[in-house]
Amino acid sequence: MRRYLLLRVFQLVPVTLVVIVLNFLLVHLAPGDVSIVLAGDNADPAYLAIIRERYGLDRPFLEQLWRYLVQVGSGDLGVSFRSREPVFAEIMSRVPATLLLVGTSLVISVVLGTLVGAWIARRPGSALDSSVSALAVALFSMPVFWLGLMLVLLFAVELQVLPAMGMASVDGPRDGVGRVLDVAQHMILPVLALTTVSFGQYVRLSRSAVAEVMSESYITTVRAIGFPERTILMHYALRNALLPVVTVLGLQLGLVLTGAVLTETVFSWPGLGRLIYDAILARDTPIIMGAFIAMSVTVAFASLLTDLVYAALDPRVKLT
Amino acid sequence: MSALLLAAIRSRAALGASVAVILLAAVLAVLAPYLPLADPDAMIAVPYSPPGAEHWLGTDNFGRDIFARIVWGTRLALTVAIVSSAIASLLGIVMGSIAGYFGGPVDAVLSRTFDVFLLIPSFFLVLLIVALFGSHIGYTMVAIALTTWPRSARIMRAQVLSLKSRVYVQAARAAGASHTHTLVRHIVPNGIAPIVTDATILMGLAILTEAGLSFLGLGDQNVVSWGRMIFEGQRQLRLAPWMSIFPGLSLLVLVAAFNLVGDGLNQALSPQLRRLAARATPRKPVAAEPGDSVTGTDAPMLEARGLTLAYALDGKMLRAVDGVSFSLPRGGSLGIVGESGCGKSSLGAALLQVMAPNATLESGDVSIDGRTVLRDGRVVQANGRDVIADMRWTSVSIIFQSAMNALNPVMTVGRQLAEAYRLHKPAATQAQVDGRIAEVFDLIGIPRSRLPAYPHELSGGMRQRVMIALSLLHSPGLVIADEPTTALDVLVQDQILGEIDDLRRRMRLSLILISHDMGAVAETCERVAVMYAGEIVEIAPTDVIFEGASHPYTQALLAALPTVTGPRRELVSIPGETASLVNPPAGCRFSPRCTRAQDVCRSTPPPRVALGPAHDALCHFPGPERAS
Repeated sequence: MRRYLLLRVFQLVPVTLVVIVLNFLLVHLAPGDVSIVLAGDNADPAYLAIIRERYGLDRPFLEQLWRYLVQVGSGDLGVSFRSREPVFAEIMSRVPATLLLVGTSLVISVVLGTLVGAWIARRPGSALDSSVSALAVALFSMPVFWLGLMLVLLFAVELQVLPAMGMASVDGPRDGVGRVLDVAQHMILPVLALTTVSFGQYVRLSRSAVAEVMSESYITTVRAIGFPERTILMHYALRNALLPVVTVLGLQLGLVLTGAVLTETVFSWPGLGRLIYDAILARDTPIIMGAFIAMSVTVAFASLLTDLVYAALDPRVKLT
Repeated sequence: MSALLLAAIRSRAALGASVAVILLAAVLAVLAPYLPLADPDAMIAVPYSPPGAEHWLGTDNFGRDIFARIVWGTRLALTVAIVSSAIASLLGIVMGSIAGYFGGPVDAVLSRTFDVFLLIPSFFLVLLIVALFGSHIGYTMVAIALTTWPRSARIMRAQVLSLKSRVYVQAARAAGASHTHTLVRHIVPNGIAPIVTDATILMGLAILTEAGLSFLGLGDQNVVSWGRMIFEGQRQLRLAPWMSIFPGLSLLVLVAAFNLVGDGLNQALSPQLRRLAARATPRKPVAAEPGDSVTGTDAPMLEARGLTLAYALDGKMLRAVDGVSFSLPRGGSLGIVGESGCGKSSLGAALLQVMAPNATLESGDVSIDGRTVLRDGRVVQANGRDVIADMRWTSVSIIFQSAMNALNPVMTVGRQLAEAYRLHKPAATQAQVDGRIAEVFDLIGIPRSRLPAYPHELSGGMRQRVMIALSLLHSPGLVIADEPTTALDVLVQDQILGEIDDLRRRMRLSLILISHDMGAVAETCERVAVMYAGEIVEIAPTDVIFEGASHPYTQALLAALPTVTGPRRELVSIPGETASLVNPPAGCRFSPRCTRAQDVCRSTPPPRVALGPAHDALCHFPGPERAS
């Protein structure tokens, strides 16, 4: 187990390296002087000098790469030229809001999507299956930012029942239950938008996984033993079908994070997405570079986690 | 492939509609400059006009016609879709082919590269590239392609790996074709279908990525993009919601169309998916009648009359069991033998009504232990429950072939037995459950220490014993053993057959042994039924079958059996293939392979001829084998 864990953690290294090198190469290939890309168009000469010194821009190319690798490796993602704050700190300060949004939506969409998918997999090819499957495709074909806007249009503009902006009311309660309810109310629309789109993914995923498992011999065995169909589906098929769902959960975290960025933009949710959006508007390149690294490492880490969960769920995986 | 696609379109309305949507989009994209549309960039109309007769979808804050902009937006969407997925697929095909074809260290390095790139979240890389290099649509497309190619590469690698050992590829290499020639002419064209399927999914993804970028303000400002239209509409959401509604709908419809086409292609190309989707319409159950339940020990253990089971396969019906009748006395044992595909396993599943979802019982009556469970092909119900449901495992159980797949791979065998026990004895205490499981384990000779093992941790013979223990859990009167020893080596086979026979005698079980192996049946069963193409062609006591088989097929099966003790003779294989179950031959189904066949055999179905006590054969010319 320990060796397996070490081995898998070690596999994070190449992804991280590739991402950092990509970052470095792209900045050097981009049109314009590297120092201006990193310090901003309107940087004063003093700041430009600091940046040049910091990244060693007058040094040979490979030495610059080495410096950059060491820098990023030690957690230094550069400095935002808009706020003059370290990028790492800027990103970390936004993580809780994004985590709240993404976490809530992931839990809801995975649980609901898996159950609905399993339910329609009972009769592959039936009218219920075909229509829910087609609906699921429609759901994940939806641009999440557009869905967000439509929800705002309906619930905030037309019906005026839900807030459409931010994470909390300006004059709302600052702490206690009131604060929680206020945030919860602000979460409804963004979570709904993000959940709807990934819900479609999990419906389809779990449907095909469950349909596959339902055709396995051991399902025929439990049927012959006399287990009722509902037990077979919920107890036997679903448990085994969770394996592919878990795998894809890790692989698709990148898509979920993409959806989160776009959703946060629509709802002015003060998370990473909003940070990236503001950075784009201000052409604050260090933030965008840092976000890319942070997102990549997060996805790689999530894939590691799902591998471990898979190993825990499937006794056939040998932890050596 | 195009024929398959056409067939798939005909069978699936959603796929047909999707192809129509994409074609319409393509036509609009090509014809946009020639259509009588308003200039999409002209700011001449009244701003903020709602949809109406003059401007079908309204105008935006600059007075531009939204319908015209949507039509022009189709151009960009399709361009992005085609260019990005073409670059990605091409790159994927090249890298994937190289990795798969050359293998070894090349493959190791490239495969790791694919894996690493797959973990990079594409949207954020595209975002960075466009932020650094500028919002030109060309950069966007290249960036999308650069982040999605490993998908295609992985698929192509797998395809090449499976193709490169094929005969025609080997032949091309042997004939002196270069690596490049072999790859380009023989491997890539045959392995490309799944790449094309995945490319349609990539197209949808590319469109959404471009729209997302444009929505963040990183879109190319020189072209009309749906994403950018929504970006602009966002600020006018209260005043002019139509500015955002329609481009979003267009995105949704086009992307969904690409995804549905990908889906449909996948279905059409994968026989397995088609098999999963096949399904027979279930027949209505019937209520039990007063005479359906005979108590006492007069009734046979099992009686089947005219049992017929058919599979729905690609619109055709395949009759795997066709009018099978037999009866099994209490404590009796019957072997059912035949080649693979003769319907013997389907017969076993039909008796317990646990067939594949695409199978249906077309006709026949079955009664088990004096209770009718099937009448005229319909499930018999009593008090709203299927009668068979109450009898499964308590009155009749089944030992499936290849216990590796018949046991749940992610549950310990102990737990599987415990759950099966609890199902029919819900009130049992933990001690009772453990006690009974220990009992059946002892009975079969499985060490109790194996209870916490997972199926994959047991040997083949042990797994099969677990399956047998499972089948005996509730001491059923009848056990159906479906090829219980097929996957095992000969020694273990004999052991397990011996154990089954021993148990049968000790526990006074009735047994049906389904096997392709005449020898196995001879050791264990009192009577033998020989199946061919869904029918029982001969049924008789075992010694009669071995000493005086009357059906030419039975004789041929026996001639194919090697003997250790008897005189050395040539083994005879039966020439020809088994009859098609979709279109069985008009007369006798065995006639095309029968050495004794006459004209009447080919035109008229044979009669069932009684040849002695409990011995009959389905043949025009039954009789002892003639010297030829």
